[in-house]
Amino acid sequence: MATFHLQIVTPDRMAYDGQAESIIVRAINGDVCILPHHIDYATPLGIGEARVTDGEGNTRIAACNGGLLSVSNNEVRVIAVTFEWQDDIDLERAKEAEEYAKKQLESMSREDRDFTIAEAKLKRAITRIRVKS
Amino acid sequence: MAGSSMKAIKLRIKSVESTMQITKAMQLVATSKLRRAKERMEKSKPYASISREAMMAAVRSCDEPDIPFVTARPVKNRCYVVIAGERGLAGGYNANVFKAVDAHAEGTPYCVLPLGRKAIEKYNHLGVRLLNEEYSHVEGLPVSACYKLTQQLTAGYLAGEYDEIYLVYTNFQSMMSQEVKIEQLLPIERQEESGIDHRNASTVYEPDAAETLKSVVPDFLAGRLYSAACDSFASEVSARRNAMDSATKNAGEMISDLRLKFNRARQGAITQEITEIVAGAEK
Repeated sequence: MATFHLQIVTPDRMAYDGQAESIIVRAINGDVCILPHHIDYATPLGIGEARVTDGEGNTRIAACNGGLLSVSNNEVRVIAVTFEWQDDIDLERAKEAEEYAKKQLESMSREDRDFTIAEAKLKRAITRIRVKS
Repeated sequence: MAGSSMKAIKLRIKSVESTMQITKAMQLVATSKLRRAKERMEKSKPYASISREAMMAAVRSCDEPDIPFVTARPVKNRCYVVIAGERGLAGGYNANVFKAVDAHAEGTPYCVLPLGRKAIEKYNHLGVRLLNEEYSHVEGLPVSACYKLTQQLTAGYLAGEYDEIYLVYTNFQSMMSQEVKIEQLLPIERQEESGIDHRNASTVYEPDAAETLKSVVPDFLAGRLYSAACDSFASEVSARRNAMDSATKNAGEMISDLRLKFNRARQGAITQEITEIVAGAEK
């Protein structure tokens, strides 16, 4: 199958650099799947699961959060805030984060300045837990 | 007379020796830290360059005249993100950073977001408004801290607290040379297209380029900040290593000088004694 060059970077490392057949990520308006020879494209990323099928046809999943997906001349780049492969996720930590965020949200009203921050925290934790299990 | 100067020289040798032990130890510590710092720095490079490229492409294809992070406005106040060290004894590392800020500001009022204890102390002393005093450690600064900082920075920028944001850090060029750099973070400077990059014009943005920029710029700035912090820390450690290296060398030279003096004084004392005895015997 045709492949494209995929790079996935986060501030502290390069999570993936190689050929891939497809990638599915959660953009802000829903899931987007990129296949080879996609038109030049860019969109901000939301918080959700990412599914990468590499050049050999193996599919790996990861928790991906924030940043940008950009396609340019069959070069696909995921410039994420965080990107953790299934194996790298710390389940205990994610569960703790979930509990903590839930507690925070209960004590807040929707108008609170930190409400969206806490909500995003909860979303990230839930995504990590879902990807891991 | 000779005896007392010999004693003084011996004392000095001892004190220089103990200083040398300290500088030597600091040099070793810096050397071992340097390896990890460089590794972190290398790992942070791809994000910084890739995100910058993507951001510039988005800015270019954005035809709206008024986007908050791009449109420049009259400058009444500036914000400097100053990354310095946590400790001194690193040659001119900290001083160079502060000097660069001074020269760049040229009398424009500014506030500072300091990273590193030395920066916090310096700007507290100067009485400049500090946005945040929590980050005294640059070593191992987590990515999440950078996100928190950029959230604060961009919020302040959008609220009009300051009209330009500059990042001041030390670029690690090699073990021997580090250079202070000042980089404009916001507003993003529109760059003229560099010839070949015309295809960017046809990129499809969803929902549109302006929206994309708005949500992505704070993230990218956080990445930039992180990479600058890694860069600065590697520079700090290698500056300290070099400073301690030359301090150790100087101490070694001083000791051999003092040894020579000591030996001369001892020889002088012996010669004098012999002269005295001989003179006594001749009588």
